[in-house]
Amino acid sequence: MAIVNLKGRRRTIFLFLLPGMLVYCGLVLYPLMQGFILSTQRWRTLTRRVYVGLDNYVSLMHNSIFWTSMEKSAVFVIGTTVLQLVLGFLLGYLLYHQLKGYRIFKTLFFVPVILMTVAVGFIWDYIYSPAFGLLKPFMEFIGMGDRYFPPLADPNVAILFVILAHSWRQVGIQIMLFYAGFMNIPQDVIEMATIEGASGFKMIWYMILPLSWEVSKMVVVLQITAALRAFDLVYVMTKGGPNHSTEVLPMHMFVHAFENFNIGLGSAVAVIIFILSMTLTLILRRVMQRETLQY
Amino acid sequence: MVEASSGGMQQTIQNKRLVPESNTYLKSIKSRHWNKIAIYSVLIGWSVIVLLPLLWLLSSSLKTQAELAFNIWGPPKDIYFLNYYLAWTKSYMGRYMLNSVIATAVAIVLTDICATTISYALSRFSFRFNRVLYYLVIAGMMIPIHSAVIPIYIMAMDLGMQNNLYALGMIYAAFRIPISVFILESFMITIPKELEECAIIDGCSYSRIFYHVILPLSKDGILTITILTALACWNELLVAMLMLGQPLVKTLPIGVLGFIAEFSAEYTQMSAGLIIATVPNIIFYALLQEKIVKGMTIGAIKG
Repeated sequence: MAIVNLKGRRRTIFLFLLPGMLVYCGLVLYPLMQGFILSTQRWRTLTRRVYVGLDNYVSLMHNSIFWTSMEKSAVFVIGTTVLQLVLGFLLGYLLYHQLKGYRIFKTLFFVPVILMTVAVGFIWDYIYSPAFGLLKPFMEFIGMGDRYFPPLADPNVAILFVILAHSWRQVGIQIMLFYAGFMNIPQDVIEMATIEGASGFKMIWYMILPLSWEVSKMVVVLQITAALRAFDLVYVMTKGGPNHSTEVLPMHMFVHAFENFNIGLGSAVAVIIFILSMTLTLILRRVMQRETLQY
Repeated sequence: MVEASSGGMQQTIQNKRLVPESNTYLKSIKSRHWNKIAIYSVLIGWSVIVLLPLLWLLSSSLKTQAELAFNIWGPPKDIYFLNYYLAWTKSYMGRYMLNSVIATAVAIVLTDICATTISYALSRFSFRFNRVLYYLVIAGMMIPIHSAVIPIYIMAMDLGMQNNLYALGMIYAAFRIPISVFILESFMITIPKELEECAIIDGCSYSRIFYHVILPLSKDGILTITILTALACWNELLVAMLMLGQPLVKTLPIGVLGFIAEFSAEYTQMSAGLIIATVPNIIFYALLQEKIVKGMTIGAIKG
């Protein structure tokens, strides 16, 4: 590339970068910075704000609902991750056998992923509802009809039922990721293990799992950060209730900022979500860095 | 390390490589009768769990309110389409869909323009801050939209951009740029340099190279980011909810939200409304199934 006009080149690069970087900086980075600033302010009136330092964070730390919300987020993240990992691994592994008709199953399993979250939330709302829901007749069918209660109205278990709905929608992605990961394992390695006499669970534990460790790792990191951001489904199904029992962090932020109109507190929660999701990603990548089997 | 593994993965997804028949391990599993039955029953079991809620919703939407009261499980006795008619006419469902199309289209066009130009500059030119800029953009993938939504809300209020579908589309696009650049940059970097060098010797300008060489060769990557953007924007709730207040500019997700609140007593019509709202996604999936699955798994891997 000897015949390149350097000056023209620099201008070209600049012009190519300009529109995208403007949009990105203006609508992602600038608001993010602004969010940090807002979290250190208190709104006296609609137009007058004062700097209060870390006051918002301090008052969050003394707010028991904030800690409930941290706890619920943890439950939600761990619950969905365990459920989706187990289901994703199992179903992905079964698809990997490619029995006749496996493509139909593959197609089906991915359907919930593309549905509108709002619609999924309402569908599960109905399923659980005492009036026309599926859950009540189902429990009557298996002879536990008298044990039925509207699950989303019970603060002790509501979050578990939101987790079920969330996993129902999301697990298709994990299934496909694991499936793709298994497909990537070289055939001859598995072949050798078979000859050596590995089979069944031994095969899964000593061969399949280590050989697809890269995928498993990625699935965990992705799933945890995605679950930390879950808002839509919670909002549709419970709005954080009953009695804050499903108020995960994004929901908590929403309540502060847009229901109580306390922008300062809301922004502080937003900053905490940002920091949590950053550090979790980085820590997880570190922790899960284990020697990958070379093949 | 993510990149390293995703390269191979992408390949698998693209080649759709089948497990060779010679795999004795899988063969031995498959040859045992009970194994087959066990595998099939789990697969069918999960299919039922996936399908049952949807089929049940469909059947509820075709019953009369009176029938639903005593027949919750079963299929409808007479197919009752009036629910669909009522759900469609009593709400602005058509309008909501149009609004969603506008916001999504704006987001797609803008994302594609921004992501292709940034990726081109970052993948084909070496300059001093190249990698700094790259990581600055890529870092955006770790920024949850919740962290920025309050300032965006305030900004929109100050600028009078509320209830504006184009502004909403722009916000969507901004948050799609990081992942799109991530996917596209890795795509463009594999295009051989020789093609461009020839074009330069022939006297082509960079913008013509971009337009006539790079863009056509990145078609697959562009399609992937377009699909991902379309799905994300079509389903987005939070930002739309905060940006759009007036009934006539609502996008489908918030439209559905309002619709449900209004019809909360009439389950059959609600079900019909939900089915209507779900149909576009299903059609989209039916048409582009392979591409969507591939795109979303690549997107997830790279994200």
